[in-house]
Amino acid sequence: MSKLSFRARALDAAKPLPIYRGKDMPDLNDCVSINRAVPQMPTGMEKEEESEHHLQRAISAQQVFREKKESMVIPVPEAESNVNYYNRLYKGEFKQPKQFIHIQPFNLDNEQPDYDMDSEDETLLNRLNRKMEIKPLQFEIMIDRLEKASSNQLVTLQEAKLLLNEDDYLIKAVYDYWVRKRKNSRGPSLIPQIKQEKRDGSTNNDPYVAFRRRTEKMQTRKNRKNDEASYEKMLKLRREFSRAITILEMIKRREKTKRELLHLTLEVVEKRYHLGDYGGEILNEVKINRSEKELYATPATLHNGNHHKVQECKTKHPHHLSLKEEASDVVRQKKKYPKKPKAEALITSQQPTPETLPVINKSDIKQYDFHSSDDDEFPQVPSPVSEPEEENDPDGPCAFRRRAGCQYYAPRLDQANHSFDNSDLADLDKLRYRHCLTTLTVPRRCIGFARRRIGRGGRIIMDRISTEHDPVLKQIDPEMLNGFSSSSQTVDFSSNFSRTNASNKHCENRLSLSEILSNIRSCRLQCFQPRLLNLQDNDSEECTSRKPGQTVNNKRVSAASVALLNTSKNGISVTGGITEEQFQTHQQQLVQMQRQQLAQLQQKQQSQHSSQQTQPKAQGSCTSDCMSKTLDSASAHFAASAVVSAPVPSRSEVAKEQNTGHNNINGVVQPSGTSKTLYSTSMALSSSPGISAVQLVRTVGHTTTNHLIPALCTSSPQTLPMNNSCLTNAVHLNNVSVVSPVNVHINTRTSAPSPTALKLATVAASMDRVPKVTPSSAISSIARENHEPERLGLNGIAETTVAMEVT
Amino acid sequence: MAEVGEIIEGCRLPVLRRNQDNEDEWPLAEILSVKDISGRKLFYVHYIDFNKRLDEWVTHERLDLKKIQFPKKEAKTPTKNGLPGSRPGSPEREVKRKVDVVSPATPVPSETAPASVFPQNGSARRAVAAQPGRKRKSNCLGTDEDSQDSSDGIPSAPRMTGSLVSDRSHDDIVTRMKNIECIELGRHRLKPWYFSPYPQELTTLPVLYLCEFCLKYGRSLKCLQRHLTKCDLRHPPGNEIYRKGTISFFEIDGRKNKSYSQNLCLLAKCFLDHKTLYYDTDPFLFYVMTEYDSKGFHIVGYFSKEKESTEDYNVACILTLPPYQRRGYGKLLIEFSYELSKVEGKTGTPEKPLSDLGLLSYRSYWSQTILEILMGLKSESGERPQITINEISEITSIKKEDVISTLQYLNLINYYKGQYILTLSEDIVDGHERAMLKRLLRIDSKCLHFTPKDWSKRGKW
Repeated sequence: MSKLSFRARALDAAKPLPIYRGKDMPDLNDCVSINRAVPQMPTGMEKEEESEHHLQRAISAQQVFREKKESMVIPVPEAESNVNYYNRLYKGEFKQPKQFIHIQPFNLDNEQPDYDMDSEDETLLNRLNRKMEIKPLQFEIMIDRLEKASSNQLVTLQEAKLLLNEDDYLIKAVYDYWVRKRKNSRGPSLIPQIKQEKRDGSTNNDPYVAFRRRTEKMQTRKNRKNDEASYEKMLKLRREFSRAITILEMIKRREKTKRELLHLTLEVVEKRYHLGDYGGEILNEVKINRSEKELYATPATLHNGNHHKVQECKTKHPHHLSLKEEASDVVRQKKKYPKKPKAEALITSQQPTPETLPVINKSDIKQYDFHSSDDDEFPQVPSPVSEPEEENDPDGPCAFRRRAGCQYYAPRLDQANHSFDNSDLADLDKLRYRHCLTTLTVPRRCIGFARRRIGRGGRIIMDRISTEHDPVLKQIDPEMLNGFSSSSQTVDFSSNFSRTNASNKHCENRLSLSEILSNIRSCRLQCFQPRLLNLQDNDSEECTSRKPGQTVNNKRVSAASVALLNTSKNGISVTGGITEEQFQTHQQQLVQMQRQQLAQLQQKQQSQHSSQQTQPKAQGSCTSDCMSKTLDSASAHFAASAVVSAPVPSRSEVAKEQNTGHNNINGVVQPSGTSKTLYSTSMALSSSPGISAVQLVRTVGHTTTNHLIPALCTSSPQTLPMNNSCLTNAVHLNNVSVVSPVNVHINTRTSAPSPTALKLATVAASMDRVPKVTPSSAISSIARENHEPERLGLNGIAETTVAMEVT
Repeated sequence: MAEVGEIIEGCRLPVLRRNQDNEDEWPLAEILSVKDISGRKLFYVHYIDFNKRLDEWVTHERLDLKKIQFPKKEAKTPTKNGLPGSRPGSPEREVKRKVDVVSPATPVPSETAPASVFPQNGSARRAVAAQPGRKRKSNCLGTDEDSQDSSDGIPSAPRMTGSLVSDRSHDDIVTRMKNIECIELGRHRLKPWYFSPYPQELTTLPVLYLCEFCLKYGRSLKCLQRHLTKCDLRHPPGNEIYRKGTISFFEIDGRKNKSYSQNLCLLAKCFLDHKTLYYDTDPFLFYVMTEYDSKGFHIVGYFSKEKESTEDYNVACILTLPPYQRRGYGKLLIEFSYELSKVEGKTGTPEKPLSDLGLLSYRSYWSQTILEILMGLKSESGERPQITINEISEITSIKKEDVISTLQYLNLINYYKGQYILTLSEDIVDGHERAMLKRLLRIDSKCLHFTPKDWSKRGKW
């Protein structure tokens, strides 16, 4: 008999159990022990009591004898039932009613005094009764009232007299007796009462306090795991929801106001149109009278971005939006949304794998929605949606979000028309917003008139302006300008300058190519050309005094690192304490993070890119494109990322020479080149090992610890998007998804730079833009956390008010 | 040999006690308190491994001073602030644990002579005491444990559901000791078993007088007399929902009739160790069993029940008053509670922890009820009768777990030829039949007039 050769199945409460009795009973030896299969049920007793002597004895007795033995019961303290005065005490009889007893609650509330007289009271009563008649109940009522009227403080005799409706002598007698008795009594009251809880919680542990009130708490069901904590969570949730409702209602109100504003604007525009007030003169006239009043209303213009920081706004009072309808039209065109449908269409038509790729969270896109340079390609953009539509769907997820604390200026007047010609401000504007002939390094070509400015996110944005000279300018060979590149001088340019497409009614006389060239040569026309780097020879022309060791090389990417080194040597104000390894490791982490992000974005970018590519009029005019093309096409395999910053120094130098207003930007920009290089380097390292490894090594090798931090905190506006796209491409390659050669021509229409880059950019941008943030403050924050480069950007953000939210 | 004056709280020594068979015994006891009444010292002793209800005040004559063990210097003695001392009912556990920790392998020779009655306990205790080197460690552990205990129990308010608390919160020396000497209730004089929070000024009285019907307490017979002139109750102030013969059940709403409910709870607390009176009685219903005679409906026992139980409890506290104990009333109360559950269509179980008497009573009820069913099963068409545990549970309203535990306890369930079977040995059958002969009091469901209320729909209780 192998008894325990198998394990008994678990006991199933739903399974029928056959019952064996008497002679049918199998030999219990055949039965398998079920101890394991049927868990021993707990007795439900306290553990320590379970082992008590008498209980154990009783249990074992019961199990042995199957019944209780008299001597084996659990002993208890004795009780007697021999109260012999019982019948005298409980007088009378109570006949059992035939019906079940049903009691009404109010029957219980009889007005009987709670106080019960004792023998001592009886003595007094007997004494008093000699003089007057007083019944025990009467006495009890008196004491009861006195007791209930007093707390710790006894009622006074006067109060007692008011309280008791008896004659004064009796009251006095009872009162005095009561006071005496009360003083002698040990309890707080002559009516013994259960101790009450005190509200201060001091009685929480008093064993004599009983029947405490249950505080109002939700009764929760344990079997639903609804404990107090989750109840509190629910409360919190509710609070938050109601907050959300409030916020939404406020938004609703705001949007309504915005719509109203829009309608008003439209009305004004229509009126102006009917009046033929294209120059805004009439409006100005009207407005001057009311300027005082309207001052407050201005910052709320709806759809002009922060593209145009117009100086005149500071001098004049800021304009109402409607003041320059044309301008706002133009601006609106710059926004992204018109392109979106196109891009999507392209996705469906050209991209084979859009569905398989992860859907990009719209909010993600939104938060990266910088108005990057490519936004400015308004000439190619189809006409914008009508205003009501815009109201309904204000740019969708790509809508521009106004940020508190940021000042947004009205669109530039001069951009749209030549009204400034006659204005006092014209000169100032000329200086500040001069468009100059611009040439790009890679590919080498002239992009016509453009204006450089620092965009959001710190990128360099080229505002191109289409002029009648465009066909001519296209023919300009950069080489032709080489001779006088960077020797840009003040030019009487504005006169030659044409207006935007939107307002191309006003035409200037066209200049011929040769005229332009001669203008340039004669320094009448400013010409901007990014400086090229060369490793080998010091191009004296290119090198400024500030960058003695800088070399220019057209094609060699590694120049970047050299440049970087130089830059940092230039003493770009920051010295960090971070070691190279620290930085490296950190970069690796960052890269990891970025890669995920970028993998997501890559598809988006691709589509955008392709859309751009297919734009017939693209003419390579989009600045971003140009910037991407500053990348050495030979090193277009994205090891080029290491080189991204190569153009930066020269560029910024030029900028410096040209425009002192940009000086501090340059200071910031230059180190950023370093950071970017490193950044992309490590990126390349991790995402596509093997490619451009040499360059990477070199870059890293060249960078001393000093630059790393400043580099990080102050990313170059220009290289940032580049970097991003490089990274994107890197990921692209890495993923071995569809790699089109197109990707090599990195498209910087990155609506979504990587988060880190973003942070960096934001810092840079904020340094640039927000006056109260000095670079040094950001830098000091860097110094504090110098081994955490990633957080630097965030830190900077935290310490400064930033125009962009980075989440 | 120690002097009487040296006896302090925490001392352990054999104490003379007369057992049920009227024999003298000297069980080891612990001194929990010492008081001096007119020059005569009285010692409150807890007999180790006996239930607290047997704790009592004794004179020094009953103490065996020769075998006294003094508490360690650092030993936890019961303190007024409620920090746990050595715990009555749990010294075994405590001591054993300590020994395990301190010297699992090396028993240390004791300095004093071993105690006669409970040698294990005694030596274990001393083993700790005699180890100066390791004392610290054990003590540390001890205090850790204690701090845990105290944080578990005393400071925080007990849970708001249910009516029982676990032993932990009873470590307070005040609640560990009986505070009422005697209660007069109707014809009966009851010796309380446990602490009850009657007004403190009444605890010094030799007898506390209770009105038999409304359970109001008075400080003297005269008070009771006076009260009875004003109190015309002759039955519990609730609705009668069951009557058969002299036995009736009254349902009392703990919210609607607070004073009676509270008085009932105070009385019941005298006999229920784990009952808590911390919170009000609002969420409970009280089912008071009475026996009628010409004077009225005399309370025999009661059970309370949560209006809405989250844990399938159909009984919170249950008590047969001592004069009625061991006469089948307890089982009647239990049976009634399950009758109510049957009407409600639920299974139920008593709230835990059970007391020793509670466990015995419930086990007995479960055993008899289940055996009754099993033995009542007739074989159909020659097939062996069979039944599932769920069926038993449904028929009896006894919760499934209790059914299983009873089957296990009775050793009825066996694994045979790949399946579970129930075996009714003749031993069991005979025992059951004998027991059922004695069980004369039964609930007649026809006499129950009860409609369960859906308390969840009534808002708060």
